[in-house]
Amino acid sequence: MAARDGVRPSRPPRVRLGLLARTVVAALAALVVFVPMYSMVVIAFSPRRDVFDRELRLLPSSWTTENFRELFADYPVWLWMGNSFTVAALTTVLTVALNLSAGYAFAKTRFRGDTLVFLLLLSTLMIPLQAVVIPQFRLVSELGIYGTFWAVILPGAASAFGIFLARQFMTAIPDELLEAARIDGAGELAIFFRIVLPLCRPLIAVLTLLTFMYHWNDFLWPLIALKERELYRLPVALGFLNGQYETNYGGVMAATLVSSIPMVVLFLLFQRSFVAGFARSGIR
Amino acid sequence: MTAGGWLSGCAGLTGGGSGGGGGGRPGTLSVITWASDAEAAVFRDLADRFGSENDVTVDLQVIPFEEVQTTVDAQLQAGDPPDVFRVTYTDLGRYSTTGQLLDVTPYVDDAAAFIPAFWQAVQTDGTPYGVPHHTDTTAIVYRPDLLQPAGITVPTSLDEAWSWEEFAEVSDALKASLPQGVFPFVYDWQQFGAYRWLTWLFEAGGRLLDDDLATAVVQSPEGLKALEFTQRFFTEQWVPRNTSVKSTTYPDAAFIGERTAMAFVGDFLLPGIEAEVDFDYQATFQPRDVRASSDLGGNALVATAESANAELAGEFLRFMVTEDAMTEWCARTTELPTLQSLVGQDLGYEVRPDLMPVFVEQATTLTEEDVAQVTVPAFSQVNTVLLDQLELAFLGDQSAEDTLAAIAEGVDAAIAG
Amino acid sequence: MASEVGVGAARVARRGGTGTGRTRRTRRSRSTAFSWAMAGPNTAVVALFLLLPLGWAVWLSFRDAGTFGPTRFTGLENYRRMFSDEVFWQAVVNTAVFTLATVPTSILLGLGLAVLLDSALPAQRVWRTVIYLPIVLSGLATALIGSLLFEQSIGIVNKLLAAVGVTGPDWQTDGAWAMASLVLVTVWVRVGFSMVIYLAGLQDVPRDLYEAARLDGAGAWQQFRQVTVPLVRPTTFFLVVLNVIYSFQVFDLVYAMTNGGPGFATTTLPFFAYQYGFEQRQQGYGSAIGLVLFLVVLAFTALQWRGQRGAVQGGA
Repeated sequence: MAARDGVRPSRPPRVRLGLLARTVVAALAALVVFVPMYSMVVIAFSPRRDVFDRELRLLPSSWTTENFRELFADYPVWLWMGNSFTVAALTTVLTVALNLSAGYAFAKTRFRGDTLVFLLLLSTLMIPLQAVVIPQFRLVSELGIYGTFWAVILPGAASAFGIFLARQFMTAIPDELLEAARIDGAGELAIFFRIVLPLCRPLIAVLTLLTFMYHWNDFLWPLIALKERELYRLPVALGFLNGQYETNYGGVMAATLVSSIPMVVLFLLFQRSFVAGFARSGIR
Repeated sequence: MTAGGWLSGCAGLTGGGSGGGGGGRPGTLSVITWASDAEAAVFRDLADRFGSENDVTVDLQVIPFEEVQTTVDAQLQAGDPPDVFRVTYTDLGRYSTTGQLLDVTPYVDDAAAFIPAFWQAVQTDGTPYGVPHHTDTTAIVYRPDLLQPAGITVPTSLDEAWSWEEFAEVSDALKASLPQGVFPFVYDWQQFGAYRWLTWLFEAGGRLLDDDLATAVVQSPEGLKALEFTQRFFTEQWVPRNTSVKSTTYPDAAFIGERTAMAFVGDFLLPGIEAEVDFDYQATFQPRDVRASSDLGGNALVATAESANAELAGEFLRFMVTEDAMTEWCARTTELPTLQSLVGQDLGYEVRPDLMPVFVEQATTLTEEDVAQVTVPAFSQVNTVLLDQLELAFLGDQSAEDTLAAIAEGVDAAIAG
Repeated sequence: MASEVGVGAARVARRGGTGTGRTRRTRRSRSTAFSWAMAGPNTAVVALFLLLPLGWAVWLSFRDAGTFGPTRFTGLENYRRMFSDEVFWQAVVNTAVFTLATVPTSILLGLGLAVLLDSALPAQRVWRTVIYLPIVLSGLATALIGSLLFEQSIGIVNKLLAAVGVTGPDWQTDGAWAMASLVLVTVWVRVGFSMVIYLAGLQDVPRDLYEAARLDGAGAWQQFRQVTVPLVRPTTFFLVVLNVIYSFQVFDLVYAMTNGGPGFATTTLPFFAYQYGFEQRQQGYGSAIGLVLFLVVLAFTALQWRGQRGAVQGGA
């Protein structure tokens, strides 16, 4: 059963189904996943009344951009998008830098108590936000950064997930490479920057994407930690629309769509590195 | 366009917010509120007017209702509170008893100008900690096109309001005549509105708390009657099953979505309904039993004790409850005044002025005893107890007796702190 | 590939072979200094913004603390109250049910789809992309889409069912169905993530293993069982840990979709903690609930770690 059904000969036949059957299954799975997103788009472009119809509509009764116009009229969407981008970008740069260096330390160097510190860091992944959000808030106000972007960026950069990924990935880098560099007289920092980091491109892609996405989408903390409406971010508009007196599905879906589009684009641009990054980060 | 984002980003990084400690910037009054679209517009206009008259900037933050509490609490904790915020009458006590609010005595010219029940609602131990900004109340909006075929006549005055028995008959008749999937009515007790169940208790002649406001007295024949009647809403399928107290489906959405023939709604929802529906709807009074009653809707405006601009904040509160400001507010939001001089006046309501007399009259059925019971400092916990237990009584199979016992226990614990 | 011997030699050469104890110590401390310089900043930030607040929460959990005003030491009172609270136990059961329903489902579906989409198919990239697209949605956005799908009377799902002549279930008023709606939305989001990670893992499975298995007469299913499943075990472990953490911490979805109802049918531990900490402003009690949740997840992960030890390279 080698080269049949268009399967590349180098590939083993992992599924003994006809090509047609497999394609149908894949298409069905994609369809199921697609329906909710499709509904979001349809409702966002529908007149508000549509959602209350008894019958299922595959398309809006009439295409309208009313929901989007209202959204842009009621909220400073561009400003908030800019804020989202600024804060998410700064947080991501900081987080990824911290994670890469810490990951390297845990992967390639030994120091007293390293296991303990690593486990302690890892355990913070399991802290539910609800348990610490109040003390976190008090801390931010004690530090005098309440109401500024730093109140979002610094706590945002406190993440151990990236350390874990970075450590896994860097463990796979052969020690011989580093040793050879040491023999050539390279300093530890030079080794990190000149040898390790260039090998970590896929990892950096994954970390950047995941961190950026998380902070782009974060809603509750920025709302608590910031004071000025001008500093808010896009997801807040979602909360605003949802929190209004009436259930406005059209407006909510329009806002959901607008806040998701940049992430979708980013993801489509980087999906290749994304998969490659995971493939090589030792999680296999 | 996004350049603005970058610029503000820089502002945010260099402390665009006011520095910590003491909060506020002189000459700037920070106000936090939630608001419907209509409320936000008039709030902004009034704030601008106050700002230009006093040569200050009013920084008005409109935040979703669900998040206001979190935000205000957070800022109070951070010692960087807003100068002024909007608060429900039922929540005010929690802030005043913990010393968070400014004593507004110097800024109230004439306490007697307010309707007594509302003036009482902003006081704690005899000290006023805010001004009664407005009130709203619940009445029934209904669709004549669905009620007429069922042969239903609708009361036109408070005295003629349906008795509970009549209301039950009306609901049964509608149940029989309405198409599949359309329900007789929907009640507005979702989420923070759980306390609106008390309207039924009060109508039955019952009380939640004793005269000393220290002990729950809901385990009474009146309490049982009210609970069993409201349980029938679900057993008889008079309301859509997904409009119980924990539901996220609100009555206006059900009514707009043409899923009910009647809806118990607050007057502040009228602009939203008017904007959405293309069928005719009218208003009538809530049913009455031993007596008529209503819910304590509306909100107070309060200033924070920590405010760096206490004087200015007080003046702002004074301004917001002047006859002119209150008239404009009520006219544009279809909410009700708290100044006695404006009660019964034609305030020039912008949306369905023909329906407003019903709401105005319904509001008069709320007594000071009713108000006292729903403005105890622990009321937000009391509300949560009601939310949890009513849900079990309506959708679970918890008996009326067990529910009342659980409510009494929970309320006592909440009051005892 | 430099041999171990070579590397050893290189190390010895670098140390000058017979360095004195003192120089050796200084060297190690220098390397320790470097390690700390690298690991320190991240450790410091995490310690400041996560571990310190965690300690603070522990302190709060032994006290009667409202939002404002003084707190009072009450010892184990909050914990005693929690363990005698029926709703707490229901929240524990709900959280467990939610976790058991979401984790295996999304992981198994993810693996199945990864195997399917690892083989060549027409429009392969399209299917892949669509399936993992929900990853990019925020928790809030997901919940809002979920509300649109599972509204009982106007929701998309029940309209779809009605279109094929089936009366849709009471997603909002029947506890079991409400829980099911949360599970379905969660699986919808997470299958794609599992699939991406498995696709990555599958690229490392040596082809010749399948060849060998085939020569031994193994069919497709046996190859899957005997080659694929064991070789992606580390991936599976990673996904289980991550998904368990996510499932135990589910909040946005409950908050925006069901609000813990009907009754307490979808009240999960994080939501329960939130209700007391925020809505009721009993921060002491809320902190205690949050901490119990933290300890449960920690214990769970530690157990998995134990069971997996050795299988993960460099596992602590």
